[in-house]
Amino acid sequence: MPLLDGKRLLVTGVLTDASIAYAVARVAQAEGAEIVLTGFGRGMSITKRIAARLPSAPDVLELDVQQPDHLDAVAADLRERWGGVDGVVHAIGFAPATALGGGFLTAPWEDVATALHISTYSFAALGRTLAPLLASAGGGSIVGLDFDATVAWPSYDWMGVAKAGLESCCRYLARDLGDQGTRVNLVAAGPLRTMAAKSIAGFSEFDAAWKRRAPLGWDITDPEPVARVVCALLSDWMPSVTGEIVHADGGVHAIGADLR
Amino acid sequence: MASAVYDRVAALLVDRFGVPVDDINPEASFEDLDLDSLDLVEFSLACEEELGVRIEDEEAENLATLGDAVTLLESKGATVQNS
Repeated sequence: MPLLDGKRLLVTGVLTDASIAYAVARVAQAEGAEIVLTGFGRGMSITKRIAARLPSAPDVLELDVQQPDHLDAVAADLRERWGGVDGVVHAIGFAPATALGGGFLTAPWEDVATALHISTYSFAALGRTLAPLLASAGGGSIVGLDFDATVAWPSYDWMGVAKAGLESCCRYLARDLGDQGTRVNLVAAGPLRTMAAKSIAGFSEFDAAWKRRAPLGWDITDPEPVARVVCALLSDWMPSVTGEIVHADGGVHAIGADLR
Repeated sequence: MASAVYDRVAALLVDRFGVPVDDINPEASFEDLDLDSLDLVEFSLACEEELGVRIEDEEAENLATLGDAVTLLESKGATVQNS
């Protein structure tokens, strides 16, 4: 039986076919899942084009996580469509340019607030909104995408702070949805060359660090290793894992100095 | 710059991206045409669907003008199907 046989999954964050979420959607379909994607604003038309390239073209719902009525509309659609949801992939993050690439000491609060609303709070908001549907499915699994926030990185600035908040959100959401059997986890990925990465001016420094430090090596063009871990967490094979951060990063998080 | 590929790309920019016809010329940069990074992603997907070849991200970064984009598409074997 395939890993995700019959699972009904909501996958956010597919923008291009380089998106980590695209790889998640592709692997999930190959493993037997039925999926629905979400898109956002001007990216909607791109997400729809890209959805058509998946082995089985999924529907794309509009979800701007800063709009509470969008969250409610997605939940209503999924309730009508499926009655329950077995898994949710949160692959959503954004920081205004002022809050990235050297703007840590200068970013105004409004821009920082935008970064935290979209990249941190939305994880809890999405989980809270879909909690009843996950409960209907017997608990289900929520998986978010993280970038190791225990240390400071070049250029990452307020996005790093937002990810630190996301890591905490994961633990609190795991606490509050545990009673209904919902697992909540993050995958801390190594750097991948996605649209999101393009907005990080110092991205090449991450690439260089991973070349020097990853015991297993790391390919910035291949999101599949991360997608597989996400799918593993969505599956029934990690049943008592919650509030956890799994590092799919070639091992960099464990290494204290350059290896090569 | 008269070619079937150029005409198709120009039509695509007008029809899908709302670029004013008068702004389109081979020397125009994507910035001149008011296309940002999201537009460029969609533009390259549309080119792939209509012309059968893809502009890779690394290539997109080196395109200064519309004419450059057409030259690249043609060098990669873009063809326009007569309908």
